[in-house]
Amino acid sequence: MIGEMDSMVLSHYLFTGAVLFALGVVGFVARRNLIIMFLCTEMMFQGVAVSLVAFSRFHLNYTGQTFVIFVLTIAAAEAALALGLVVLLFRRKRTLDAAAWAELRG
Amino acid sequence: MWFPHQEHMHYSVCSNRIKSALMLRRNVCRSDGPFLCCAASWGRTEYAANAMPYALYIASILGGLALLMMMPRGGFTPLKLGMLLGAATLGGLWLFLARSLPSATGLEDGAFLYYYPFSFIAIGAAARVITHTKPVYAALWFIMVVIASAGLFLTLSAEFMAFAMLIIYGGAILVTYMFVIMLASQSGDTTVVRTSGEPDDESDEGQDKPMAYDAVAREPVAACAVGFVLLAALLGVMFDPMRPNADAAAPSDETVATQVLTRRAVTRLPDAVADRIDDGTIGNVERVGLDLFQRHPLGIELAGVILLVSLVGAVVIARTKAAPPPEFEASDGTAPHPEGARH
Repeated sequence: MIGEMDSMVLSHYLFTGAVLFALGVVGFVARRNLIIMFLCTEMMFQGVAVSLVAFSRFHLNYTGQTFVIFVLTIAAAEAALALGLVVLLFRRKRTLDAAAWAELRG
Repeated sequence: MWFPHQEHMHYSVCSNRIKSALMLRRNVCRSDGPFLCCAASWGRTEYAANAMPYALYIASILGGLALLMMMPRGGFTPLKLGMLLGAATLGGLWLFLARSLPSATGLEDGAFLYYYPFSFIAIGAAARVITHTKPVYAALWFIMVVIASAGLFLTLSAEFMAFAMLIIYGGAILVTYMFVIMLASQSGDTTVVRTSGEPDDESDEGQDKPMAYDAVAREPVAACAVGFVLLAALLGVMFDPMRPNADAAAPSDETVATQVLTRRAVTRLPDAVADRIDDGTIGNVERVGLDLFQRHPLGIELAGVILLVSLVGAVVIARTKAAPPPEFEASDGTAPHPEGARH
């Protein structure tokens, strides 16, 4: 039932993962809303997860799927911390604009 | 013949199906040699392979342009045109790549057909996440990305990860995001009106208008250029023909029995589990669980520590001042936010 997967098929799945990652990068750089920026990091996690599961299927090795569990763990931790940070920053300046913190550039 | 003894199989997390697939792969590569394996997959796609890098680069450029059109920029945004160009680019690239697809993909019957709709939804929804001007809708589109990639996992027969992804991402994390978005946008609209960006004149319908910092992207041209140069570089590597690496497959029973298990305490599987591994009736959830708890015990501990630290950290970071200092309230009632007063 579970057979070998073709390399071209793997490339298709990797393509989807790479596009999700690249869109996450673009969004993180281009958007100014702090919440959207962190949403874009979650999207990069999604792209990585797709690639990991595709590799797992390609090599017939379940470690890839296990790593997605760890990616989910990190994503959950990151969401908790990032949203806590966003709430803190919002409380200081009453805005979600990342440019409001441009003074941190130094 | 390296097929291990029956007793070794009880130690292993490697099923017969995978083992036989591995043997098949090794035999093929042994008889033909790695170069012939490679040449066979090249011969199938010779024409497409020559033109493939150019097609990928052109598709990257067009995709970048499409995304650039969709980026919010305050004034006129050719959103529909960008969507159309993006969809056409994606469809054209897939049509081009489909010519070098083999007849047998190796996935379950017809599963690869579902790759196209799921992947299309994932990419389209991802584009909307980063181009939508309202955070709530961006978060909803992100749920769409999660659902579509869960569908992709199903086509890869990773059922557990698909549903875990739906429950954890779509359920827990996104609900948290929604909470924060609602919290921030609600109080942002009522107390302080647009501290940055241009002040907007018609504040009557301010509820429906996106905030100024959402309506205009920051450096969209540079961002799209960087992102899609990255994408082009990634794609150029990815579409080289890859061969399954026998070393990356799950270790053989010999390796597990002689090298891995001798270095740790005996982790013998219960006979019932071992029997189900042998006759191949074990499911995806159990396989992932076995792999997780047999081969990554340290990772689980570290994940637990990370979760604990982030829990404590989130509490510390987002903590409000428990009680404002009494003299602060008594002297001046107009500054209810002592943190804001410092800035």
